[in-house]
Amino acid sequence: MPIRILAEEVASQIAAGEVVERPASVVKELMENSLDAGARRIEIRIANAGKALIEVTDDGCGIPAGELTLAVARHATSKLSAAEDLFRIATLGFRGEALASIASVSRLTLISREQNAEMGRKIVVEGGKLIANDAAGLPVGTLVRVENLFFNVPARLKFLKSDLTEKNQITQLVSRYALAYPQIRFRLMQDEREVLLSHGKNNRREVLAQIYGNDLARQMLEVELEDEDIRVRGFISPVGISRSNRREIVFFVNGRWVQDAGLSTALIQAYHTLLMVGRYPIASIFVEMSPEMVDVNVHPAKAEVRFRDADRVFRAVQRAVKRALLAYSPAPQLSSSTWLSRSGEAGVDPAWEMAYEANLAQMEVAPEPAGKETVPQPVQLPVDSLPLLRVIGQVGAAYLVAEGPDGLYLIDQHAAHERVLFEKFMREAGKEIPSQALLHPQTIELPPQAAELLQTQLAVLNRWGFEVEHFGGNTFRVRRVPAILSGLDPLIIVRSLVEDFEEDETPLQAEIEARVIARVCKRAAVKAGQILSAEEQNALVRDLERCQSPRTCPHGRPTMIHLSVDLLERQFGRRGSR
Amino acid sequence: MKASVQQQHLAHGLAIVSKAVSPRSTLPVLANILIASDDGRLRLSATNLELGITCWIPATIEDAGAITVPARTFQDLVNTLTGERIDLTLDPRTQTLNVRSGSSNTDIKGIDAQEFPPIPVPDLSEGVSLNVNDFKEMIQQVVFAASTDEARPVLQGVLLNIKEDQITMAATDGFRISVRKGLLSNPVRQEISVIIPARALTELARIATDGEQMLTMNVPPGRGQVIFHVKDAELVSQLIDGNFPDYRAIIPRSYKTHTVLSTPAFLKACKQAEIIAREGNNVVRLNILPGSDSPGVVEVSAQSEETGASQIQVDANIEGSPLLIAFNVKFLREVLDVIKTPSVALETNQNNTPATIKPIGDDDFVHVIMPMHLG
Ligand SMILES: Nc1ncnc2c1ncn2[C@@H]1O[C@H](COP(=O)(O)OP(=O)(O)O)[C@@H](O)[C@H]1O
Ligand SMILES: [Mg+2]
Repeated sequence: MPIRILAEEVASQIAAGEVVERPASVVKELMENSLDAGARRIEIRIANAGKALIEVTDDGCGIPAGELTLAVARHATSKLSAAEDLFRIATLGFRGEALASIASVSRLTLISREQNAEMGRKIVVEGGKLIANDAAGLPVGTLVRVENLFFNVPARLKFLKSDLTEKNQITQLVSRYALAYPQIRFRLMQDEREVLLSHGKNNRREVLAQIYGNDLARQMLEVELEDEDIRVRGFISPVGISRSNRREIVFFVNGRWVQDAGLSTALIQAYHTLLMVGRYPIASIFVEMSPEMVDVNVHPAKAEVRFRDADRVFRAVQRAVKRALLAYSPAPQLSSSTWLSRSGEAGVDPAWEMAYEANLAQMEVAPEPAGKETVPQPVQLPVDSLPLLRVIGQVGAAYLVAEGPDGLYLIDQHAAHERVLFEKFMREAGKEIPSQALLHPQTIELPPQAAELLQTQLAVLNRWGFEVEHFGGNTFRVRRVPAILSGLDPLIIVRSLVEDFEEDETPLQAEIEARVIARVCKRAAVKAGQILSAEEQNALVRDLERCQSPRTCPHGRPTMIHLSVDLLERQFGRRGSR
Repeated sequence: MKASVQQQHLAHGLAIVSKAVSPRSTLPVLANILIASDDGRLRLSATNLELGITCWIPATIEDAGAITVPARTFQDLVNTLTGERIDLTLDPRTQTLNVRSGSSNTDIKGIDAQEFPPIPVPDLSEGVSLNVNDFKEMIQQVVFAASTDEARPVLQGVLLNIKEDQITMAATDGFRISVRKGLLSNPVRQEISVIIPARALTELARIATDGEQMLTMNVPPGRGQVIFHVKDAELVSQLIDGNFPDYRAIIPRSYKTHTVLSTPAFLKACKQAEIIAREGNNVVRLNILPGSDSPGVVEVSAQSEETGASQIQVDANIEGSPLLIAFNVKFLREVLDVIKTPSVALETNQNNTPATIKPIGDDDFVHVIMPMHLG
């Protein structure tokens, strides 16, 4: 086939595909334009999941009557004039592509009235062709109506998900922007139903409540940190609340919603072992820095950014999150309601319920976030220490009972020992890790994908006391294991490590190390059902007291439940209940 | 059933069989002990389906019969009875056992003896005769090296091989191996090679009293079981199915350094080092220093981040090159604990190759330990 220059129409449809993939991407571009125009109110009307209608009205600065046709022309923007401007972009838009792209795949009506103009103007473009250009009356601002999206690109239409999914995507998108811009009033109507309304009173928790409901919104921990020219703010879920995927982790950088694996990993890592493996926090984090520090011109949909000093940004996020978490991490308190009701029947782990309630209680007494940090380095984490405990004994060969100045502690011996071993291991990082050689190297064959994973992580394993080598094909040979595992089956350990890797495809290196160690400690820790002598019980509790995060095991489960003196007194009717 | 027994005999018998009771079983009858009249004696049996123990005690039987009663209840009761004589009477209609002794009178609800799993009877004429004392020592010298990891059933067992008049036992957890040989007075016609759970052998060593000369071992063909018969007791254990590692290939054939130490002095040094080492990672370092004309010395040292450091010097006769090698101190202590000879030899090559420990003057025992690697 001879090479031909594509017809203008086809070329612009191809380009449109990069910017507008689905109804939600149209909403995003239009909302960003309104924000760039300095709007205080943005109203979005959707019909039929955006396929029939997307209409965005704002009270922004408007477009001069003579420039309406220019606004829908390709590469026409008022936000950028010279190439060097690209390095300090302060607006959300800059490519001058969105309106043109949308206009080429829909029927687009643009009505706008500039600040000081007496009249507004209206143009209609269908499939890229101008079909109307008239005077129009309206208040100052802009209205963009997009009808019959993708009417001329049936392939796109076919790839859209179910209406429900597309609608949810739009709602999520708008809520995220509402949260990012709490000073702006957002209203979202889907098929004539009001789905979201933010009041624009600069109260993020109010917006959170709209998105996640009152309960969860109340429990979200506030994050705030300023490190020279980087500012991190937002909300994160407390330890007891998590999701099975990363979808609720949202980042805005300089007011722009971005998807950045590095940022999410930094956040997840900050939770470190406080969350169970395979669980992820809910978070909305807003990072601000000067425009020169971040390159936004990476992706047509502007969903990705590149940081000049990514490590610094990640560190700031991590520190901010850690600080918020440590500021609110109590031992799960047994509340009177769980104590009296038979909890756990709803399928929720009772310990989680307690942690949940504990966090809730904590929120009520301590809503103030940690103060601003002015001296950025080095990171000094407050130690979440335990009081001195007196061991009373063992219950059911699984739990230790101990008394502290503030009441009774029930300690899960397995979880506690995991925590002790884990921190001991971490302290030894970089020092010599004793490992025990096997009499006979053991070989293990893995499925191809698992083998590939293990291969990439061999260096980590071998740094932490293993000696595992690739033995050709999908076979590996285990020669040594960390000393604390001597006596246990090396192959089972290696297998369980691989399973751990499989759960998450792209953890950061440091996260992998922590997982390897957590896994090793899990295998080595005393099990439930093991009877401990009085000395062993004491030693375990002493060791736990010395831990940095004694209240959770490395997989995030609580190691202990605390029954305060106050609770005991109330339960025994020595004091009126509150 | 109506029988009378001496309290002391009954208490002793219950102590023996109760080790096989499985209190947490889903089968209630397994938490019980079978009491049955048996040819002028009283038979007590307990089983957890992997291990079964039976014991016979002297009794006066008036009426034959059998019943099972909850092990804990019955044992606790018998242990508190002060009278010398205990009368046991079964009411077959209610399956209740009346226990009367002196002024005490107790009824215990039982479960029908028919529900108790049958316990196999050994064919004593086909059995292998073993000297009780020798066999107990063999067990002691190998069982501790078996694995306790439930994930590795084969290594939770002890390999027992009998060929002609040679008996060999071996146990390993993958990091060390203990091999003990012995001679039989009567050779066997057919080779026997079985893996017996270490736990069963430990129980056997406990119930085989030193007073007895011989015990009989019986491996009924095709049943996957081994039966040990002592005078007044029997122990049945399921065998472990699987391939035991080839221990012959693991035992080193040569060495670069040969170190002879006093067994008690070496054991004491290890015990002291363990006090420090157990807080860390159980690492003990042996610095083997041959003397130029004097014998030589082994520096046994341990250190831990938390507890501190210790060093003990043990005199030794060393031939060969000096070596610094690290071991899990628990492994060393456990093997030295079962060596009966006054001196012991440690044979080493490099700090990352297996080391051999042998009693001096007893060629029948060999223990191999893999060293530890630091950093
Ligand atoms: N809601 C609006 N209010 C004011 N001006 C707008 C609005 N939407 C679009 N414009 C104008 O149209 C231009 C083109 O918009 P767009 O195609 O999205 O490109 P970009 O936002 O990258 O400049 C903008 O630069 C801006 O001048
Ligand atoms: Mg734009």
